Amino acid sequence: MKMDTPLPAVRLMDLHKRYGDFAAVDGVSLDVRKGEFLTFLGSSGSGKTTTLNMIAGFDDPTSGQILLNGGAVTGLPPQKRNIGMVFQRYTLFPHMTVAENVGFPLSVRRLSKDEVNSRVLDALRLVQLDRFAGRRPSQLSGGQQQRVALARALVYEPQLLLMDEPLGALDKKLREEIQIEIRKLHHRLGVTILYVTHDQEEALRMSDRIAVFEHGRIVQVGSGEDLYHCPATAFVAGFIGNSNFLRGSVAERRSDAAIVKLGENSAVCVPVDAVGGVGSEVRIMIRPEEIKLSHALSDAAGAVIPVTVRERIFLGDTISYEVATRDGQSVLVREDRARNQGRCVGPGTDAYMHIAINQNRVYKKY
Amino acid sequence: MILTRNRLGLFRFVLYGHAVLVMAFLLLPIIFIALLSFGSSRWMMFPPPEWTLRWYEELATDPRWAEAMWLSLRLALIVTVLSVLLGGAAAFALVRGRFAGRRVLKAFFVAPMIVPVVIVAIALYAFSLKVGLNGTFAGFVAGHLIIAVPFSVICISNSLRGFDPALEQAAAICGAGRLETLRRVTIPSIAPGLLAAAVFSFLASWDEVVVSIFMASPQLQTLPVRMWTSLRSDLTPVIAAASTLLVLASLILMALLGLSATRAGRSKMQ
Repeated sequence: MKMDTPLPAVRLMDLHKRYGDFAAVDGVSLDVRKGEFLTFLGSSGSGKTTTLNMIAGFDDPTSGQILLNGGAVTGLPPQKRNIGMVFQRYTLFPHMTVAENVGFPLSVRRLSKDEVNSRVLDALRLVQLDRFAGRRPSQLSGGQQQRVALARALVYEPQLLLMDEPLGALDKKLREEIQIEIRKLHHRLGVTILYVTHDQEEALRMSDRIAVFEHGRIVQVGSGEDLYHCPATAFVAGFIGNSNFLRGSVAERRSDAAIVKLGENSAVCVPVDAVGGVGSEVRIMIRPEEIKLSHALSDAAGAVIPVTVRERIFLGDTISYEVATRDGQSVLVREDRARNQGRCVGPGTDAYMHIAINQNRVYKKY
Repeated sequence: MILTRNRLGLFRFVLYGHAVLVMAFLLLPIIFIALLSFGSSRWMMFPPPEWTLRWYEELATDPRWAEAMWLSLRLALIVTVLSVLLGGAAAFALVRGRFAGRRVLKAFFVAPMIVPVVIVAIALYAFSLKVGLNGTFAGFVAGHLIIAVPFSVICISNSLRGFDPALEQAAAICGAGRLETLRRVTIPSIAPGLLAAAVFSFLASWDEVVVSIFMASPQLQTLPVRMWTSLRSDLTPVIAAASTLLVLASLILMALLGLSATRAGRSKMQ
């Protein structure tokens, strides 16, 4: 190993978890860099929580290896892994005060009373709850309880912090507040964070990188921008951000491009590498904000598809249209109000939809 | 609510009267016995001609009564400890375990509460004669455990079901081993259930008559058995004194349980 590549904080090597015939985790490999904020994003049952539980030590992998800082931890019980974790449900110990809860991991480590007290106070200050040290968890709100849980997970300075949908039970406003707080803590402490969520907005807002889970596998890992602009599969494209999928079939393959027919009357050119043989199905993904509507044909590069405007909704900074292609596919378009000024494409009128076809957004199947 | 007090009109006095009668029916015998235990009449005349503590004195000094009380107390304490331990272990298996026949096993553990006690007693009698447990302290312990363990299983199962196992995961990830997690997280969280199990187990043994009558020997008699036998041979107010003591012990334990329940309830309310 080269000296200048630091050990990854977490390395997952071909991780599998089977329950009978069902593969909950089906071959996950991933390196998490030290100090990184990485989010496991996926719908429920995609294997993200099972993967997290295996890293924590609550579940043993059927096969594969987990390395923390280069050392194998497979088979090691959770209490020996020195990992911090915040759970989805409130898991404060109800019979202890806030301070006793935060001090619990320290007293388990047999630290002196004075040291426990001072570090508990520091940790509670970190989450701005030092005034509540003497209260019971049942006297706190949900958001406060999760912040105490965060303090308890950080007080022993673990190198790795796992968070399993910690904000799932909170309302939207509070959730955004604590998201920012966690983000700040991450910058300040430099701890590696593995975060599980099914909320793509939360993932985009918080993460350095996102690993998208589907059917027990990671389908793509990358920054939010990577995933948004170059989704590896139609699933990722559909999961992150708003997206339109145009269905079509390959009509003709040439050496430089392929023609994809969308219904009877319109066709677009796409890169030939991205599609299968003549007659095969194709999905083209277009972000709503990348579509331009106009009444006249322009000579801009890209494809032009005639549409009928069904609805126009004014949203302040943007205007959102629902349009339909000639073969009845519904497409969402979002235009900046500034860019749109003067032009008014009203409902019921015919228009042209200008799109740029990006090779990375043409999929052979959904 | 349809049956609010104000809408009942005068009929509500009928309800009050009814409530008073039911309470009197339940409480009068106990009050009657308690009064008699302080009465001076050997033939338990009512109302008592004079007040005295001599029956309590006799209870404490007569070695037959003293021994019976001491036996009942020792027995109840040992049964309490064993019942909570065994019932607790069974409750963990029934609540946390995922194995075939779990429901059958649960019914099995609760069965002694449903099967008529006299049948349990006869079966136990036949069995203990065979293995020589009859008339021994161990025989008493075994017999009372059969009566007491279902209470423990039910009380501890209930509080375990209300305990989120994620708390144990949280303790583990904080660095606590299994024993420390059990001691510092699990047991304190289910403490109200454990206390209820202990109180009910104690009372189950302390008040037990049927199994004890079959199990007793002339040398080894619990307090209720002693009361039963002396009731048949010589009717004496000492029995009333013993009864009053039994009731008092039960009252104290139930009050303790009630107190801890309101405290637990209050801390949850906050």
